[in-house]
Amino acid sequence: MLRLSLRTRRSLFPYLLLGPGLLWLIVFYLIPILSQGYVSLQTGNIEQGYTFNWAFHVYSDALSEYGAQFARSFGYAAVATVLCLIISFPLAYYIAFKSRHKNILLLLIVLPFFTNYLVRTIAWQTILADDGWVVHFLQNVGLLSHDGRLLATRTAVIAGITYNFLPFMALPLYVSLEKIDRRLIEAATDLYASRATAFRKVTLPLALPGIFAGSLLTFIPAVGDFINAQFLGTSRQYMIGNVIQSKFLVIADYPTAAALSFVLMFVILAAVLLYARALGTRNLQDAAI
Amino acid sequence: MSTATVESQVRGGRRRFAVGARTWDSIRSKALGLWAALALLYLFIPIFIVILFSFNDNKGRFNLTWESFTFKHWEHPFSVSGLSSAFANTLEIAAISTAIAVALGTFMALALVRYGFRGRSATNLFVFLPLATPEVVLGAALLALFLTINVATGYLTIVIAHVMFNVSYVVVTIRARLEGMDTHIEEAAMDLGANEWTTFRKVTLPMIAPGVAAAALLAFALSIDDFVITNFNAGETITFPLFIYGAARQGIPAEVNVLATMILLVAVIGMIVNLILQRRKASSERPVVLAPAGAPING
Amino acid sequence: MPEPDRSLDLFFEQLVEGRLSRRQVLGRLGAAGLTFSSAGALLSACGGVKGTATNSASKPVTANHPKVAIKQLNFSNWPLYIDKSVLKDFEKKYPGSNVKYTEEINENDDFFGKVRQQLQRGDSLNRDIVVLTDWMAGRWVRSGWVEPIDRRNTPNVTKNLQPSLKHPKFDPNRSYTTPWQSGMTAIGYDPQKTGRKLTSIDDLWDPKFKGKVSLIADPRDSAGLVLISMGKNTATATVDDWLAAIDKIDQENKKGQIRRFTGNDYTTDLAKGNLWVSVAYSGDIFQLKADNPRLEFLIPEQGAIIWTDNMMMPQKPPHPYAAETMMNYVYDPQVAAKIAAYVDYVTPVVGAQQAMEKIDPKLVHNELIFPTQETLAKLQPYPSFSNLSDEQKIVEAMQQVTGA
Repeated sequence: MLRLSLRTRRSLFPYLLLGPGLLWLIVFYLIPILSQGYVSLQTGNIEQGYTFNWAFHVYSDALSEYGAQFARSFGYAAVATVLCLIISFPLAYYIAFKSRHKNILLLLIVLPFFTNYLVRTIAWQTILADDGWVVHFLQNVGLLSHDGRLLATRTAVIAGITYNFLPFMALPLYVSLEKIDRRLIEAATDLYASRATAFRKVTLPLALPGIFAGSLLTFIPAVGDFINAQFLGTSRQYMIGNVIQSKFLVIADYPTAAALSFVLMFVILAAVLLYARALGTRNLQDAAI
Repeated sequence: MSTATVESQVRGGRRRFAVGARTWDSIRSKALGLWAALALLYLFIPIFIVILFSFNDNKGRFNLTWESFTFKHWEHPFSVSGLSSAFANTLEIAAISTAIAVALGTFMALALVRYGFRGRSATNLFVFLPLATPEVVLGAALLALFLTINVATGYLTIVIAHVMFNVSYVVVTIRARLEGMDTHIEEAAMDLGANEWTTFRKVTLPMIAPGVAAAALLAFALSIDDFVITNFNAGETITFPLFIYGAARQGIPAEVNVLATMILLVAVIGMIVNLILQRRKASSERPVVLAPAGAPING
Repeated sequence: MPEPDRSLDLFFEQLVEGRLSRRQVLGRLGAAGLTFSSAGALLSACGGVKGTATNSASKPVTANHPKVAIKQLNFSNWPLYIDKSVLKDFEKKYPGSNVKYTEEINENDDFFGKVRQQLQRGDSLNRDIVVLTDWMAGRWVRSGWVEPIDRRNTPNVTKNLQPSLKHPKFDPNRSYTTPWQSGMTAIGYDPQKTGRKLTSIDDLWDPKFKGKVSLIADPRDSAGLVLISMGKNTATATVDDWLAAIDKIDQENKKGQIRRFTGNDYTTDLAKGNLWVSVAYSGDIFQLKADNPRLEFLIPEQGAIIWTDNMMMPQKPPHPYAAETMMNYVYDPQVAAKIAAYVDYVTPVVGAQQAMEKIDPKLVHNELIFPTQETLAKLQPYPSFSNLSDEQKIVEAMQQVTGA
């Protein structure tokens, strides 16, 4: 066995930890996705084939044509992320601090997602049907006009995204809340007059890594989501994910699909960096380079 | 440690407001519990319908309108050919890919949070990229790779794909755990002569266990429901979502609802067993929180 | 929904409309052959690109697949699209044979996305039979991605194939494709909701049904129907005719008449009463009627669409003779009736109706499975464009309307 000094060992250790996962991502993510960068600069069609010719116009076309879908994607994802945070913060807080059955409650959060998406959506379509009691109730209390509907609206799309990404907010939140030393909160409640202040000055800052992780795990995939708009919305709610999906599969316009994806990835990364700066958590200062 | 102890300590420290605080505490605590219950209920609303329709005596092939109650779909849930093998494939793939992704992701998260090294910032950012990549492009790009290196698509390539898109979720979740966590105990262990591996196993892992569990749950849920990326890289292997999306054209059989309900049943039974074990343990020793808590103040 | 959303809605709408008008201009330009994509196609054609996009359909085709013992057959189909006992019977009839039947085709586009790169590289898919809908089958035939069928091995097909299906434009002599099942695209509706019997395709646009109408996102179905309502024929319509039909859909969509553009997920909404009138497939309505007998499938006087899913051998099939034997086998009227009774779409096999007497007498006179000659005469096929760019133009125009 190779004998290395403790120092060398320590300095090599992070690479050892990082290695296998990073290698996996480089081989099965980075290399394939770079090849799509190549595709995005091609022109042609499925029958004649595609040729590479630095077709940057694909990018400008993509941007100018689909501004609305981009705007919608970011808008819906942002609203859904905030809703996820509002719904799951108290839930995660309860599980972390008040529950004696943490693992069971955690499993309960994820359990609904072990049933297939399509089957769940059909269930939602049953519950929110135009003639269903939910709609009738909302009409009766005046939250919905008498001919209003829930399905095939923007509300339904955002609610769908919120529902489907909830675990991605709740679990990281729980994970970071759970590690907070409770004595800190106790001390804080003793120090500050109100519990609200204690929460704001102690719990919230300590939960920041969880809020950061949760909102990214919710927001990033939600921006690229297409399935909720497709099943719960109308064509007026289609997001950039729907465009990419149909550019790729239906129209078989691979360069545009790839170009749109890169634009999307770029904008998301920029948003992540801004968000990181704003939150100022440690890993984010790193990420901000 | 029980919440009651905490609260009594808190109350002790704030005697001046004792009465008011006590009522407020209990209201706050009840409201929190209610909110948590409502949130969970919200998650389960469609699931009740899914379960209900596993008992629907549908006349045609579509299982969309409620007719009457029957057990017939439960008698032979595996009778729909193709469905049971698809179901088995999905569970296996989810289990395998979750295990690999959690292992890879945990180590990556550790490296990213605990160590300073060249390229760390870039890696931090890189980890977010797969989350931001649209699924169609991800699926097609990976397929192109497999074709170029002449790997026949099938079971193995599905596992590879699932690990790939799950790793980032794992890293981000576990990082939220490690972030700002006390490193003194690990350092102490190392000082006492434990090597990295022993320290990881005996000290770090128990501390981050809740994060690992949460990450595994997310990865499993993602894998079990993935359609787009799987479809590209499945070859002739059929998974549960692939079957269902195809079957939608002819009507999703009620047996799909039965199998979905069975997953829930298994999980719920597991929970109950867990609860009973916990109770037993609790009555024989001191109360134990099931998840090893990170902060060393437990108990 | 309540007021606060309003301004955002307007904002989004304006954005979309701005885009649409620009795209419409582009669409018009496209008709004159000036779009980026056609210019791109030109460029790449100059670059000398690989591809076999010649019209292989028009050349005489010969295939020679000598009889061999049938061992293995790799058959890829859509889920729930066959009575599995047919496969067992086949294996019994041909001892030593083994059918590997894979239900892997979810959607024409999805399946194409999955195998495209292999096709373009000229690789074998290691599948003997795949089942794809007319237009996709046409794309494969045009591109030379299919193996011709040795018709000497399929006498049942020659004998029993429905005459109206013998000469589709994309494969005039059925040299490459054999129909598996057909289906009709017309209008499914709930008379209790609409309050009246519907008679015409134009009933889709009745203002009373605003927000309760769905169209299938595929222009071959919905624009096809609208085209028929404009007095055109899908087989002879020009690109401009199609664009006019799509424009009509666009106008109605902007009025809010159309609730959703769907795949076959309209079935859920139709069953729940969220939709009153849908552009629908015959087999779906047949199944939905089992639970809700009220539902009607209207094949209007103006006409409707008939489409076909076709069996074909992808390039370099490992077991061509076995594939042909299977095609021949399912054209035995007894076998065809068994499949039709399970699938409930329109069978392309003459004689299956009589054979159905023994299998399920109730189905013999079901118009959705065995349309009368009179109905068949009203049906028009999916369009079959001689080149890809015409097809793309229409699909893209429709995508602009649906917003994706």
